[in-house]
Amino acid sequence: MRCSFVVGAMAVLLLSVSLGCQKSSSTSSGGGNSDSRPTVAYVTNGIASFWVVAEKGVEAAAKKFDANALVRMPPKGPGSQKRMVQELLTLGVDGIAISPISSDNQADLLREISERTKLITHDADAPKSDRICYVGMDNYVAGRACGRLVKEALPEGGTIMIFVGRLEQANAKLRRQGLIDELLDRSDDSSRYDPPNATLKGEKYTILDTRTDGFDNSKAKANAQDAIVKYPDLSCMVGLFAYNPPFCLDAVREAGKIGQIKIVAFDEDFGTLQGIEDGEIAGTVVQNPYRYGYESVRILAGLARGDESVLPEGGFLEIPHRIIKKDNLQEFWTELKHLLGEPDSE
Amino acid sequence: MKKILGISTLLVVICVATSVMNPQFLTAYNLQNVIRWTGLFGVISIGAAFVIITGGIDLSIGSLIGLTGCVLPLLIMQHGWSAPAALLVVALLGLGVGLTHGLLITKLKLRPFVVTLCGLMIYRGLARWLTGDQTQGFGQEHETLRLLATGKVPLPFVTGFEIPSPVLIMLALGVAAAVFLNKTVYGRYMLALGRNEQAARYSGINTDAMTILAYMICSTTAALGGVLFALDFNLIQPAGHGDFYELYAIAAAVLGGCSLRGGEGSIAGVIVGIAVMRVLYNSINLLGIDTQLEFTIIGVVILGGVTADELAKRWAASRRAAAERA
Amino acid sequence: MSSTTPLLEVRGATKRYPGVLALRDVNLSLQPSEVLAVIGENGAGKSTLMKVLAGIQGLDAGEILLDGKPIRIRSVQASLDLGIALIHQELNLCENLDVAANIFLGREPLRHGLIHEARAAEASRKFLQMVGLDISPRTPLHQLTIGRRQLVEIAKALSINARVLIMDEPTSSLTQHETENLFEVVDRLRERGVSLVYISHRLGEVKRLADRVMVLRDGENAGEISKQDITHDKMVGLMVGRDISRFYDRHPHPAGDVALAVEQLRTHAHPRRRLSFQVRAGEIVGIAGLVGAGRTELLETLFGVERPLGGTIKVRGEATRFRAPREAIAAGVALAPEDRKQHGLILESSVEENIGMAGWFRHRLAGGFFNRRRQAADAQAMIEKLNIKTPHARQMALYLSGGNQQKVVLGKWLALAPRVLLLDEPTRGIDVGAKEEIYHLMDQLAAEGVAILFASSEMEEVLGVSDRVLVMHQGRIAGELARSQLTEEAVMQLATGAETTTVSNL
Ligand SMILES: Nc1ncnc2c1ncn2[C@@H]1O[C@H](COP(=O)(O)OP(=O)(O)OP(=O)(O)O)[C@@H](O)[C@H]1O
Ligand SMILES: [Mg+2]
Repeated sequence: MRCSFVVGAMAVLLLSVSLGCQKSSSTSSGGGNSDSRPTVAYVTNGIASFWVVAEKGVEAAAKKFDANALVRMPPKGPGSQKRMVQELLTLGVDGIAISPISSDNQADLLREISERTKLITHDADAPKSDRICYVGMDNYVAGRACGRLVKEALPEGGTIMIFVGRLEQANAKLRRQGLIDELLDRSDDSSRYDPPNATLKGEKYTILDTRTDGFDNSKAKANAQDAIVKYPDLSCMVGLFAYNPPFCLDAVREAGKIGQIKIVAFDEDFGTLQGIEDGEIAGTVVQNPYRYGYESVRILAGLARGDESVLPEGGFLEIPHRIIKKDNLQEFWTELKHLLGEPDSE
Repeated sequence: MKKILGISTLLVVICVATSVMNPQFLTAYNLQNVIRWTGLFGVISIGAAFVIITGGIDLSIGSLIGLTGCVLPLLIMQHGWSAPAALLVVALLGLGVGLTHGLLITKLKLRPFVVTLCGLMIYRGLARWLTGDQTQGFGQEHETLRLLATGKVPLPFVTGFEIPSPVLIMLALGVAAAVFLNKTVYGRYMLALGRNEQAARYSGINTDAMTILAYMICSTTAALGGVLFALDFNLIQPAGHGDFYELYAIAAAVLGGCSLRGGEGSIAGVIVGIAVMRVLYNSINLLGIDTQLEFTIIGVVILGGVTADELAKRWAASRRAAAERA
Repeated sequence: MSSTTPLLEVRGATKRYPGVLALRDVNLSLQPSEVLAVIGENGAGKSTLMKVLAGIQGLDAGEILLDGKPIRIRSVQASLDLGIALIHQELNLCENLDVAANIFLGREPLRHGLIHEARAAEASRKFLQMVGLDISPRTPLHQLTIGRRQLVEIAKALSINARVLIMDEPTSSLTQHETENLFEVVDRLRERGVSLVYISHRLGEVKRLADRVMVLRDGENAGEISKQDITHDKMVGLMVGRDISRFYDRHPHPAGDVALAVEQLRTHAHPRRRLSFQVRAGEIVGIAGLVGAGRTELLETLFGVERPLGGTIKVRGEATRFRAPREAIAAGVALAPEDRKQHGLILESSVEENIGMAGWFRHRLAGGFFNRRRQAADAQAMIEKLNIKTPHARQMALYLSGGNQQKVVLGKWLALAPRVLLLDEPTRGIDVGAKEEIYHLMDQLAAEGVAILFASSEMEEVLGVSDRVLVMHQGRIAGELARSQLTEEAVMQLATGAETTTVSNL
């Protein structure tokens, strides 16, 4: 009689499998290496629109360099990142590009990858691992650039709050440190670390606090709202992860403090760009996730074919940041729309 | 045995189907991974089963995993405690939390849902506060301690495949739990009170003590799970570590034949239930199904299984009724 | 009274619940080898007194003596240790366990610290035999009928080798045969020196078993009757404190049009049987039969709880196919179900809400708002009409005595003024006074033109109240008896399946 349990569950399972397959076959075929093309994987540190842009780069490169590319976005932090990586290793992919959530504590996982396939990092580096190279931006430098944007927005000085998803990621740490060091007019030293929860007072600028939200959108917005309430004379909010600035903007708008509280952004969320166009956000420091994806796949595909020439010099392929303000916004935006639109239009 | 036949068959069918469609499934590497995950989640599911069998629910498991997962490295790495001392503190923490839940539920007659929902929030907040939201981990140290979760035990006469240690811990715990539940009076009391608390009380059973015991078992296994997850991930983010895990545990228990109405369930069923979920995750990835659909598929499979089970029960009942009449 | 020291004695017992003084200065004494019947109206405090002896409730004042020595009973365990066992008014077993596990719940035999299942099963067998149950001790309890579960409960009480065995309405869900069986068990226990306290509303049983009767009224001692003086009238007199001679007082009314017509109806319980009968407005039709004859299933099908497998049901001339009780209610059909705790009441709700619930659709104000005042008024009217004993209308149904709970169920349906009233065991667990009131009510409703169809296992009731009786046997209507043909023998013969469908030869 219990057989019907199985029958029911299996029917449902098969149905969903067939549904799933149908959809996934349009992007990339998973699983076995039935063809001669190399299969490479691109693992992010979470789910975000930022990574959707990167995925476009992955797809473009996969086509250009004739590779299978699998994109994995872990929905629930380190646990699911670990599981997804292990499953990719089981599939026998020819290379993995990963954005480690925390390079120090994930040494085991990175070792597991490098022992079984080719490992490169993107977005956030893991210098102590056996990764072959790193594709990304120098986050400390970008952080300093962000600091200069804040200075431009607040020439007279003021108080600043920082919002970020997770502080334990190297990229977040470095961006924040670059920002702080720039505002406090310190020398370049990317190994410095100021713990959060401590107010940092410089000559003109005071960094009140750093708030993390663990990639939880509701939390991100609440953090921004709470900061406005807690510090009535707050003069600037800096959102270090792509989704932070639009939430800051929302909160400032709701509080009726547009103009009074400046917003400086990172990344190119649609809301951020709109905010810049409307003059509500001072400017943003953008990375180039499209090229992270594109270059990662290019390098991995080359390596899989035994072509070492794809490797960048010194194991670091810098994809420099750019500063987007109102004057160069349109140009950038068109480019971005083009990037996102292109794969769909064929 | 009959009770877990359905779910066991489902497990086998998924395994066979996956390995037919992608032979990589059967590689030692993959099996070891799936088995390790099953062991880790199995530990917490076994504890959850006790609470469910007594007719309660524990929503705080995930947060407690987060808290214990933070406290252990905090004590060892930042405060320089010895590993045994830190483990003891974590165990006491689990026991204490369970005791508190149990007392609130039995003595103040608060609803388990409310008590543990508040627990869910309290322990998460505590974990974040204690660590200042800083990621915790053991870095490259404490390799021996980490073997508890990352170790592998070689099998005699078999090369290339070693048993991950968490599954051994789970099996040991599972056997102990099954004996406790089915062979000792305390297990019997829990089954009785889960179905009809008044009948149990009127039979001279100290039902409050049994309920408290169930919550203590649950929280303590959650603490053990917290330790194992922490040692395995070596990367504990206070804000998210263990998030949602109580729901996996509850889902596994339900898949494995526990009734949320209480009084029903087997440890073997729970273990097979969690195995089904882990294998499903694995096969979704190996078969190249969009990973965005993970939750959907697992949700639908659980729903399908439970529905089929309910229909089968009704069918059996009507068959029995017909047989009695004949 | 007696010269020997009583085995068990209660002096000056007082127990107060919020809003109710359940026991006031009550005395009880129990001699060795005696069957003491405790009777009284619903809510008189019988169960409360027994719960005190079983260690479930504490006393506010008073003392308990065992063998002349004062004792304190602080817990169920303590009571069991003293050799006092209580069989509860409501079943208290765990359906998820097997029979042996239920019998030894709380006292499992152990080996090496683990439960010794084989020994438990072996030991259970003896007690099952004593109550005349011929089943394996390993049978899962949920496979047993209610009556058999009751016997398991009795076996469980026997298994503690009690010196004092208290039975709180043990026969209310037993068949005739099972009841007889129980009486024999009681007799045997008495011979063995066990003292029994027997609570029942069935005065016939009391007469048959009791050595002495103790009567409670409104939480106080109302008197005692020694064996030779036990008569129906005397018991009723002490219980009710008034004369209820007009017990089955029927006023035959001219039957009106056919209100309910059933043709070739097939139910889920007995899919191969076809049922056909009619009930006219103003008629009271009883359904007799043994437990399992399919009476409850028939009533539930008529009420739309279960869908019929075939056949037609006509209510006041219109063919209906109720898909849910709500449609039946709308058509003027009401059912007061057998199992009040499961189907009749929401125990955690107030009396007022329970009575109002089925009529909520009538308590709607414009815009869907709820007319609480009207519900309160309706409920109050029912409380008065049915004489429901509750401190106030907002008391939780949980705290009412069993009989008063049953009255709330009836009140809920009577508040709807149904045209066809289906009653399943309408007086189970109800005291004589209330029974009389309910019979009176049925009579009155019939006079108003309501068609009443009721199922009952109590022979007296079937004989006394019905205009006509349908006797069911194994899912079919074994025969129909007009009032003039009604005798206990005729009903029993049909109910036990003695092959006679015509009544003429009786
Ligand atoms: N737990 C409780 N809380 C409040 N009141 C209660 C509780 N239990 C019983 N009562 C009240 O105490 C009184 C005595 O109830 P009890 O159950 O002893 O009556 P009973 O004589 O057994 O009646 P029945 O014949 O209907 O079973 C009733 O008025 C009842 O409503
Ligand atoms: Mg009672």
